[in-house]
Amino acid sequence: MAFLDVENVVKDFGGLVANNDISFQIEKNEIVGLIGPNGAGKTTLFNCIVGYYKPDKGKIRFKGKDITGFKPFQTSREGIGRTFQIMKVTTGLTVHENVMVGAFLRTEKRAEADKEASEIIEFLGLSHIKDYHINELPIAIQRKVGLARALATKPELLMLDEVASGLNHKETEEMVELLKRLNVEKHITIFLIEHIMEMVMTVSGRVIVLDSGIKIAEGPPEDIVKNPEVIKAYLGERYAKGK
Amino acid sequence: MEKLKDAFDFSDFSRSERIGFIIFTIFLFIFPWLGVSSFAKTVMIQFMLFSLFGMGWNTIGGYGGQVELGKAQYVGIGAYTVALMMVWWKVPFWISMPIGVLIALGYSFIIGYPLFRLKGHYFAIATICTSLVLKDIFDNWALVGAAKGIELPIHDHPDFLYMQFKSDTYYYYFIMALFYIAIFYMNWFRKSKLGYQLRMIKDDEDAAESLGIDIRWCKIKAYSIASAFVAVGGGFMAVYNLYIDPASVMELSLSIKIALMAMLGGAASMWGPIIGAAFLVPLDRFLGSWLGGHKGLTGIDYMIYAMLIMIVSAYQPRGIWGIIEDLRKRGK
Repeated sequence: MAFLDVENVVKDFGGLVANNDISFQIEKNEIVGLIGPNGAGKTTLFNCIVGYYKPDKGKIRFKGKDITGFKPFQTSREGIGRTFQIMKVTTGLTVHENVMVGAFLRTEKRAEADKEASEIIEFLGLSHIKDYHINELPIAIQRKVGLARALATKPELLMLDEVASGLNHKETEEMVELLKRLNVEKHITIFLIEHIMEMVMTVSGRVIVLDSGIKIAEGPPEDIVKNPEVIKAYLGERYAKGK
Repeated sequence: MEKLKDAFDFSDFSRSERIGFIIFTIFLFIFPWLGVSSFAKTVMIQFMLFSLFGMGWNTIGGYGGQVELGKAQYVGIGAYTVALMMVWWKVPFWISMPIGVLIALGYSFIIGYPLFRLKGHYFAIATICTSLVLKDIFDNWALVGAAKGIELPIHDHPDFLYMQFKSDTYYYYFIMALFYIAIFYMNWFRKSKLGYQLRMIKDDEDAAESLGIDIRWCKIKAYSIASAFVAVGGGFMAVYNLYIDPASVMELSLSIKIALMAMLGGAASMWGPIIGAAFLVPLDRFLGSWLGGHKGLTGIDYMIYAMLIMIVSAYQPRGIWGIIEDLRKRGK
């Protein structure tokens, strides 16, 4: 039984088929990347899994439990954490409070949530900005706050939507290190959408490629870069033939 | 126990706020003995009553960020429950008031369930509608006195059970007690799990949902808490005024005033609703008596309120308290 089992998922936005019959599995403790050109249906697939969309067809199982059609707050309670491609820039809660809200999912007590939040903030090296509001932070830090918030819900599966976009080279390397640490130290399974190839290729053990709503390839990163289907999807017919 | 500790723990407020709060409390205590006119006492009672309403509204409207403009229906439910039970069955205030709160709670769950399918402006409009519908029903329902309203039987002697006193001072201390219960409750609420979750919902609903928060259920809970607060105030209005009609306890303007006071003072802050009420209640009183003497000027008070709403939302959405906080930050 796979940890996450996506079976023949179809999502059709009235004419435009964003996800067409997609199936794959993720095992516990894997880091899996999801790539594909713009409009390939990556974010839609994410949203189907976490419950922002309901798939038109197909099944999604998490730890053996059928979670197809669950609402986002339900999948979160089941142990799926996620970050957003675009963080909403807010002025209400501070960073620390944001993370506390995440921690409140697993506890009723404020003191516990407070402690949990402090630990996660410490782990991610955000202690110096914990009293800032999200609108006061640069984008790289905002991403980390989103990650911290999701981690506070104690997820077993973490789904990251372009967590490295907009980051510079050094920040990207830091993010890769961080994800590896989360995977090794906290035993969190990671499933990430990414545009930055060097990031996906260094961090993932396996890569799934989508194009126009269809899964065109799956395998270890070193095979994926040589796969003619993938090259075609990214660069066009001409380059795939090696001309 | 921990909840009680949170309610009485003001340690995260600044020193000046805590000192201000103590001075304010002492002032409220001795106010009736300062030889003030009964008019001043009435204004003070109104001030605390509206602070209570405002603090209730602040749960869903302030912390939850949902523009709620239908609180008058719950004032009405609280007031009518107390009045009718007293007239029909001579039920003491201390029994009828909690029953009124329970009815308000039940009603708010029923109304809240469909209401929170809506968001933003649609939600605001829907809250106005539900309140207006209830007022129309009471305006035409002969059994509950229709538009004429109901008078409460006046007792010969002061009666604690029915909350009937000759002197306003008793009412003053009673509403003061409720006012402080509300403050302590709110002090707990803002630090509670629900308080944090509501603020997250206000900030970013999608993110809130991704953190395992059942948004609709959270909103319904906060809405019901607000309704319970307001129903307590409604019950007080019935025994204090000894006469209620739909126009006085269910009017749209009452809903708007409740929301406006909290927003003007500073939504989602501890002191905002109190500051707002301290500002608007005397203004309301003054305008009411002044305009009463000038025919043709009625309606100007609404124009003034509308202007205040516009100024607040354009200049400082966090209200007077927001201005104070900004000044303090600049001073540092």
